[in-house]
Amino acid sequence: MSELPLLRVDGLEQRFDASGSLFDRLRFDNGRISAPRRIVHAVNGVSLTIRRGEVLGLVGESGCGKSSLAKTIIKLHEPTAGRIILDGEDITGHGFQRMRPVRRKMQMIFQDPYASLNPRQQVSDIVVEPWREVAGGSADAAHERAMQLLAKVGLGAEHAARYPHQFSGGQRQRIGIARALSVNPELIIADEPVSALDVSIQAQILNLMMDLKDDLGFSYLFITHDLSVVRFISDRIGVMYLGFMVETGPRDAIFDNPHHPYTQALLKAAPRIGQPLPPAAEQLTGEVPSAFLLPEGCAFRTRCPLAHARCAREQPALKHIGAGQSVACHLHDADEKPLHDAPLPVAA
Amino acid sequence: MTAQTDAPLLRVRGLKTWFHTFGGVVKAVDGVSFDLSPGKILGIVGESGGGKSMVGFSIMGLVDRPGRIEAGEIIFDGRDLARLDDDAMQAVRGRQIAMIFQDPMTALNPLYTIGNQLEEMLTLHTDLGPQARRARCIEMLAEVGIPQPEARLGAYPHQFSGGMRQRVVIAIAMIAEPRLLIADEPTTALDVTIQAQLLRLMKAQVEQRRTALILITHDLAAVSQMADRIVVLYCGRVVEIGASAALIASPRHPYTRGLLDSIPASHQGRSRLPQIPGTVPDIRKLPPGCSFAPRCPRAAERCRAEVPELTAAAGGSAFACHFPLEASA
Ligand SMILES: Nc1ncnc2c1ncn2[C@@H]1O[C@H](COP(=O)(O)OP(=O)(O)OP(=O)(O)O)[C@@H](O)[C@H]1O
Ligand SMILES: Nc1ncnc2c1ncn2[C@@H]1O[C@H](COP(=O)(O)OP(=O)(O)OP(=O)(O)O)[C@@H](O)[C@H]1O
Ligand code: SF4
Ligand code: SF4
Ligand SMILES: [Mg+2]
Ligand SMILES: [Mg+2]
Repeated sequence: MSELPLLRVDGLEQRFDASGSLFDRLRFDNGRISAPRRIVHAVNGVSLTIRRGEVLGLVGESGCGKSSLAKTIIKLHEPTAGRIILDGEDITGHGFQRMRPVRRKMQMIFQDPYASLNPRQQVSDIVVEPWREVAGGSADAAHERAMQLLAKVGLGAEHAARYPHQFSGGQRQRIGIARALSVNPELIIADEPVSALDVSIQAQILNLMMDLKDDLGFSYLFITHDLSVVRFISDRIGVMYLGFMVETGPRDAIFDNPHHPYTQALLKAAPRIGQPLPPAAEQLTGEVPSAFLLPEGCAFRTRCPLAHARCAREQPALKHIGAGQSVACHLHDADEKPLHDAPLPVAA
Repeated sequence: MTAQTDAPLLRVRGLKTWFHTFGGVVKAVDGVSFDLSPGKILGIVGESGGGKSMVGFSIMGLVDRPGRIEAGEIIFDGRDLARLDDDAMQAVRGRQIAMIFQDPMTALNPLYTIGNQLEEMLTLHTDLGPQARRARCIEMLAEVGIPQPEARLGAYPHQFSGGMRQRVVIAIAMIAEPRLLIADEPTTALDVTIQAQLLRLMKAQVEQRRTALILITHDLAAVSQMADRIVVLYCGRVVEIGASAALIASPRHPYTRGLLDSIPASHQGRSRLPQIPGTVPDIRKLPPGCSFAPRCPRAAERCRAEVPELTAAAGGSAFACHFPLEASA
C-alpha cells in the first residue's frame, strides 16, 4: 500500500532564545560591553513519519528535545525551520485560526498531569473544551459528550463536577486523555503520559491507551524515557540525542539489532529486573554537551566509544540501512539513499 | 562471616511518623521495622505517598510539623536517634548519616560554587586543614566522574547538566564518609546511561567503605540490581520484606506480585498488561483491616475486618497478608 502517511515531519528545527532580558545578558569582557544571546538548539533537523494506526515511540534522555519536538508539531511553538504535513496538508505556516480544523485531527496529552489542567475548571468542562472549540454545540450536548468521554477513560458521573486537585495523578492523566479524545482525533501526541505515575497506575493507563487505539483506530506519537514502556507500546521507535534523531526503525529491529552507538549504550544500560548492574566496561563515559553549544560534527562524539576523525568534522545524516531502519552515524554510511526514498516498512 | 560484620548499624523498630492535620491524622509511617548492616544495601519501594521518603526523613531527624515521630526506635550505632535532642542530632547528620534528597534541583544552593558546597561539609564534619580540604574535594569530584575536577570547583550548579548536578549531590553526601547513606530516588528522571553510572558509583562506595545504603525508589528494576534486601511499603506499612532475589522471584504479598507484573518489560509481545485495579486509598481514611483489600484479587471477609500482622517466613523474610501467595521452591 502506498498510502500517505498521517504525519510527515521534514527537517524540523526548533531554536529557543534563552537569553533573558538585555540586562541579564550584559557582559563586561576586557573593558568592553557585549550582550550575547544564548540560543538553545532544542530540535535539530528531525524527520519522521507516522502512518495511520501506527504507534511511533520516541525515546531519549532528559532534555534531548522530545517535548520541544512534540510542541512544535502541534504548533504550540513556531518551527524555526522544516515542514509539518498532517494528512497531506502542510500546516507549517498555519496561524491560530487555520489550526482550528487541524486540532480536530491532532491532539496532545501533556507531560505534567498536574500543570496541564486548569485548576479552576470543572472536569466536565475541561474534557469537552477542545470539542467545543471545533464543534460549538449547546451546553446540553457538551455535558452529554463529557459524560461519554469520562466513561471511556473509566471515570464516573460523580467525578464530573469536581476540580483537578481532587484527583490522584493517575486520574488526572485520564482526564488529560479524555480531553484529547473529545474531538475523535486521528493522531494523539502523548508526552510522557505515564512517567509521573506509579507502576501499578502506569499499567492501567497503558492498557487504556492501547484499548482506545484498537477501538477507535488512531495513531500515537508516544514520548517516554522508559525503554520498557516504549517496547510495550510502539510499532516503530525513534531515538533522539541532543535534538537529533539518531536512529529510527521497527520496534524489534531497534531492540534486537540497534545500530547507533547511543541506542546500543541505552539498551545495555537499561536496568533489568533481577539482573546485576551491567559491567563498568560497557558504561558510556564523557559528558552530554550543552544544548547551547553543540559540538562540531556528530553530537554524540563526546561520549561515543567509536568516535573517529570524521566524526569531529562532519555531521552524520540519518540514512536508511534496510528493513525500515535508519541510522545517523558515519559507521553505517554505505547506503547513500536519502531517508524518504526508502520503502516504508509493512505493518505487522 | 563473623558475628561482628553482621551486627546491624541501624535497627528501626515499630517506627510511626504521623501528621496531625485538620483533615485527620496522616499515618505516613505506621509501624515500620528493619535492620541494616555496614556494607549492605536496603531498597525501599512502594506506591507514591506510601511513606518511603518519610522513613528517610525520620532517620535524619528532619520531620517537620505537623508531623512527628509518634512511636518506635531508630537505633543507630547503639543510640536511639528518635530520642536525641536537636544539637545531638545535628552532630550525627552529615557526618554519620547523609541523605540524597528526592528533588535534585533544590539540593544545591544556586548561589555558591560546587567547591564551596563540598568544602562546607568537610569544614563542618572533619578537622582537615584548608589544603587537605581542597585536595579531598578534587578527589571526590573525580570519584563521581566529573572531568577536570580542579577546574570545576569554581563552577556554579547552573553550569552543570542534570546528570552532573546529581553526581555533585552524591559527592556532597559522600564526602564526609558517612556510615549510613540514604538515597531518595537518586536517579529518577535521568537517562538510563547516566543512571547506571550513578548506581555503580554508590555500589562502589558501599563496597569500598562499608557504607550502609538505603535506596528509596519506585524503580523495581533498579532496586533489584542494587539491594541485598527489599522493603515494600503500602500506605505507611511494611507489606513485605526479604532478600532481593527471593522477593522478586517469589513474592508472597499480592501487592508485591502486582507491582512486579505491572512492569511492561516482563511482557513482550503486546497483550494487555496485568494491572492492579483501583487507586491508593486516602491515607486519612484507610479501610479497616488490610489497606490493600479494595484492590486485592485475593481479598476475603477476614481481610476487611482484621489488619494482617507482619509474619516471619523462611530466609529472614516476612509478609503481612492473611492469604499469602505460595512460596515457590
Ligand atoms: N521554552 C523554552 N525556552 C528555552 N529553552 C527551552 C524551552 N523549552 C525547552 N527548552 C530547552 O530545550 C531543550 C530540550 O527540552 P525538552 O523539554 O524538549 O526536552 P525533553 O526531551 O522533553 O526532556 P524531558 O525528558 O526532561 O521532558 C532543553 O535544553 C530545554 O532546557
Ligand atoms: N506536611 C504534611 N502534612 C500532611 N501529610 C503529609 C505531609 N508531608 C507528607 N505527608 C503525607 O505523608 C505520606 C508519605 O509521604 P512520602 O513523601 O513519604 O511518600 P513517598 O512514598 O516518598 O512518595 P513518592 O514516591 O511520591 O515520593 C503521604 O501520604 C503524604 O501525603
Ligand atoms: S558518527 Fe562517529 S561519533 Fe557519531 S555515533 Fe557514529 S561513530 Fe560515534
Ligand atoms: S490480607 Fe487479604 S486483602 Fe490484604 S493483601 Fe492479603 S489477601 Fe489481599
Ligand atoms: Mg519532556
Ligand atoms: Mg518520596
